[in-house]
Parts: sequence; structure tokens; C-alpha cells
Amino acid sequence: MENGGAHAAGHSAAAVEIYPLSRYYFGAKDAFPDKDENPLDRIQRLKSNFASHGLRTCVLGVLLVELFRHPHVLVLQVKNCFFKLPGGRLRPGEQDVDGLKRKLSRMLSLEDCAINDNWQIGECVGMWWRSEFETLPFPYPPPNSRRPKECTKVFLVRLPVSRQFVVPRHLKLLAVPLYQIHDNSEVYGPIISGIPHLLSKFSFNIIDDD
Amino acid sequence: MGVSTVVNTYPLSSYTFGTKEPKMEKDTSVADRLARMKVNYMKEGMRTSVEAILLVQEHNHPHILLLQIGNTFCKLPGGRLKPGENEIEGLKRKLSSKLAANSPAHQPNWQVGECVAVWWRPNFETVMYPYCPPHITKPKECKKLFLVHLSEREYFAVPRNLKLLAVPLFELYDNVQRYGPVISTIPQQLSRFQFNMVNA
Repeated sequence: MENGGAHAAGHSAAAVEIYPLSRYYFGAKDAFPDKDENPLDRIQRLKSNFASHGLRTCVLGVLLVELFRHPHVLVLQVKNCFFKLPGGRLRPGEQDVDGLKRKLSRMLSLEDCAINDNWQIGECVGMWWRSEFETLPFPYPPPNSRRPKECTKVFLVRLPVSRQFVVPRHLKLLAVPLYQIHDNSEVYGPIISGIPHLLSKFSFNIIDDD
Repeated sequence: MGVSTVVNTYPLSSYTFGTKEPKMEKDTSVADRLARMKVNYMKEGMRTSVEAILLVQEHNHPHILLLQIGNTFCKLPGGRLKPGENEIEGLKRKLSSKLAANSPAHQPNWQVGECVAVWWRPNFETVMYPYCPPHITKPKECKKLFLVHLSEREYFAVPRNLKLLAVPLFELYDNVQRYGPVISTIPQQLSRFQFNMVNA
């Protein structure tokens, strides 16, 4: 992408390499039993976990590919309706990066286990807090000093030039352009639709040898 | 990861605010502003502007310093770089122009931190995006927002025609109507930082 015209000198923007979607391979594996509970039961379960273990921490990964010279985010679609980023809840005492690698392998790899999987977890690009499990997340801890119940950390994941994605059959993996998720909270929710804002400071090097 | 994610924020009361001569806007309407942008583009190419996010804390919640023009319009301190000007030097120049007293003895030591957001203007219109839209090869403006770290005590001189406000993040978040798309999305861009709220 050209900037055209005069370009002011300054420190270089953090650069991220992204590769064409065509370099990646997509297959399927058996669905794993996703907790098929109704929303009220889920809230109950989260509340009782909070009583035992405290703050629920989730880690999510932003995986980027290139298509039509524009960055696309890999997004999972559940039951043909709602969208989520690959990731999930940390186990008690688990480190952010280890937990994210574990979740990425479970959702996106042939291996369910992350040990042999080569995930390169980059920086945390944003965080979201919930003061209650039923409420929307916000990009700051609750201002009234109430203890948050959930914290979600969004990490940039740097993909290699090529890899195989194997997705459980109950999930669909989509590559969605930034311009489509931008400001589109109604369809994608606040976390996914906020990704373009979290990524804006990066300069994307589109590596395409074709 | 490199850059530290801890940001010290001090109470609003730890800063002193005076006034100085008015700094009028160069353009009196949006149409004038876009017309002047077009003229400059023909001479100098894409405009690069730099803006500062200055943070204080109140009630243990981060607040951003905004300049209010008239009764409603709020903007971040900053402005257009001269052709070839270094981003950091240019931002310091703009900060001093808008917020520093004229006397050389009272120049704040502006500590410019990392760039937290970049916005692109594809055409001579008001709309901007946090990415360069596909098929746009000649954007008209690139705007960069930088975190600027304040020391515990500073003296600011605000132009008489402007008001300096400290607005909490919770008031800015999702409030596009009041603050526009650039300022209302700053809370997300700051969410990864750990704020060390230093009390008075």
C-alpha cells in the first residue's frame, strides 16, 4: 500500500507480516462436546466457579491473513449464528500464553495438545472486563471499584507463511475483512468489532511472492 | 514485548492550569478545513497529523485531557506536521503551542510514549478509518495518536478561547455522538495498559 506524497519521519510502526489466505490449508476433525447448556445454567456455573476460584480470565487470539490486499481476521462461527475468536478460559494458575496455545490447538489443530504445535503468541493488544457475567464487557476495569468477575485478554498471534488448520465440525472458520468487522458490533459483538481499533497502530507487510 | 505497559497517572489536582492568549482555529467551517487540506495536499502530499493522549486520574479511573472549542466540539491536543518533520518533535511542538506557557522557564518536559492508534482519511471528506481501506492508494491524511506520559506536577497554560477538560474513559467509550470516532475508541486502545493510579 502506497502512502503517496510526503511522508513525515518518525519512529517505525510495529510491523506484522501477513500471508495470503491461499497459503493455508483447512480440514475438519470430530466435534468436541461443547457445553450445550442454556444461558441461565451457564451463568450459574460461572458464578459458582467465581465463588471458588475468583476472577475468570479468558484469552483470545487474533490470527490474520491477507486477501485482496486487506487484512482478514480468522473468526469461528458457532451454530451458524454467533461469532467468536479462537481462545477460551484459563485454568486456575495457568499462564496466559500457555492457555492460549492450548485453546488454539484444541480449536484449530489436528493435535489437541499444544506441545508439538508451533504457535507464536505476540503482544496483548486489548483487554475487556465484565462486572457481571450477564453484562457487556468494557475496555476498563469497573470504575466503581467493584471487583470484576471476568477479564478477557486479546493477543495478536503471528502466523507462519503456511500451516494447516483443522477445525472441529461444530465450528466454522471464516476469514473476515477488517472493513466488515469495523463498527459492526450488532453482528460480531464489541470484542471482535473492536479489533480494527486495536490493530490500527501496526503496519501490515503483505508477503506475497506471486 | 519491549515497551512497558505500566502508565503512571496522577490526580488532576496535582497539575496547575493558567491561561494564555487565544489560539484561533485556522478554518471556520468543516468545508473550509477540507478545502485547505486539498490545497496543502496539492503542494505537499499526504497530511500527517499527530495527537496526544494525556492522562490523569480521578476516583481511581483514567481521564483524558481534551480541548473544548466553543460549547461542544472536543479535540485532542496536536495538529499537522510540517513536511519532513519528525513525528515526536512535531508533537512536542504542538503540545507546547497549545498547552505550555510562553515563558521558556515553564516548558513541560513532554515524554512522548508509544503510538496507540493510526487513522486514515481516504478522500477530502470528514470520514476516517483505523485502517487504509482496500483500493485506496493515495490517502489524504494519516493521523497518529501517541500516549504522552505526564510528570507528577506540571503547569499548563490553556489558550483563553479553549477549555481544558478531563474526561473519564467510561464517558468516552462508545460515545461517538459526542466525541467522534477517534476519541470514543481510545478506551479500547488503552485497555492493554496497566494504570498505576498515584494518589495525591
